[in-house]
Amino acid sequence: MSKYYDLNDILVEDEVVSTVFHHKANGVGYLDPGSEDDNVEKGAVVELPLWLAQDLSRRKIIQVNLPPCFGAKVRKEVQADPACVNLRSKCPYFYEMGCKLADITGDPSLGGFLLSTLRGRYRDILCKALTSTITSTPKFMTLLTQEETHLFEAGRDSMRTFQKWRLQGPQLERAPILGRKRR
Amino acid sequence: MAGQGNAAASLFTEPEMEFLGEDETISIIPNVRLEAVQLICGDFGPFYPQIPVKVPLWLGIAMKKRSKCRIQPPDWMSVERLAQVLDDEREAPREFQPLPFHYVEISRLLLDNAREDFENNFMVQSLLEDIKDVRWDKVEAGLKTLATRTHAVKLKNVSAMEVNRMRNFTVRALQSFYKHDSEDLVKQTGLESDSQTTSTSEHLPRRTLRPR
Repeated sequence: MSKYYDLNDILVEDEVVSTVFHHKANGVGYLDPGSEDDNVEKGAVVELPLWLAQDLSRRKIIQVNLPPCFGAKVRKEVQADPACVNLRSKCPYFYEMGCKLADITGDPSLGGFLLSTLRGRYRDILCKALTSTITSTPKFMTLLTQEETHLFEAGRDSMRTFQKWRLQGPQLERAPILGRKRR
Repeated sequence: MAGQGNAAASLFTEPEMEFLGEDETISIIPNVRLEAVQLICGDFGPFYPQIPVKVPLWLGIAMKKRSKCRIQPPDWMSVERLAQVLDDEREAPREFQPLPFHYVEISRLLLDNAREDFENNFMVQSLLEDIKDVRWDKVEAGLKTLATRTHAVKLKNVSAMEVNRMRNFTVRALQSFYKHDSEDLVKQTGLESDSQTTSTSEHLPRRTLRPR
């Protein structure tokens, strides 16, 4: 519940997953663009946002299928070279979604796959973050998910402020509170 | 610092670290006569010309800027001592040598404002740069090994500025690994847990980044 107000969490749960209905559902035909009447048939494949899918799967009404970004093809790509896979285009919230889906779908290998992906990419993130200048980064950054970008920016910004301090002498800064005009 | 607007920024900015570093005492040789000053941090004795006296760094720098004193370089900033530290740093690839906690800030302030008080100031400066680079390489090498199950990191003799540089990144990296590592692998059964549990039992409960 501590994540209720977390913006990133809200955005993660907005991602869609494809699900299969176990039972017929009346009156919610708008969820399924392929249904003729107002009901969802048993066995229909529907795309639902994660927050809805989580709750419904807990009540065993639907079965969540693993999205393609966690499928076998991506796993092979990651095994080949973790640092070059463009995870952002597949799913910008790759790790968070994986964590939530690991609960729902009960796929035992998902957690291990996420961890090994993170480990593989971690070294590259570390090197690039600590040695990047303003111009050299943009290409690599487009491959990173939201969480990795968070990490990357922490490293890069701390290096940048240190360089700035080293090259410039101590400067008197105007405190931000003085900048506001009082009426 | 709190309330400065950018919540994602580091807890301490570099100028703030410099401010904290200015509290160290150094020895100066005044060339004017002053009575004792009573500061919040303590009383600093009457200043007689040509008699060395210990003062906080910020006071020494302020007086130097007004040409009222000459600064005596601290003991650890002599060429021999720094060369010794550099050799020790190079020989011990996983340990840091003891240096004053704020050595980066102090050395920068002294070399910027009191260059002429050092004999061999180029030598001192280049030695300090080398020491800084060697230590930072060690920090980076240590960060690379974070990817295995690390719950806490202990670094001995790291200086204030180095800690500040790596603090944000290290904390976030540890958080990310903790989030992915603990529940998923332990909860799921399957082939991976067998190979993983052997390595976890060596590393838990705490893995030090460097030997003590």
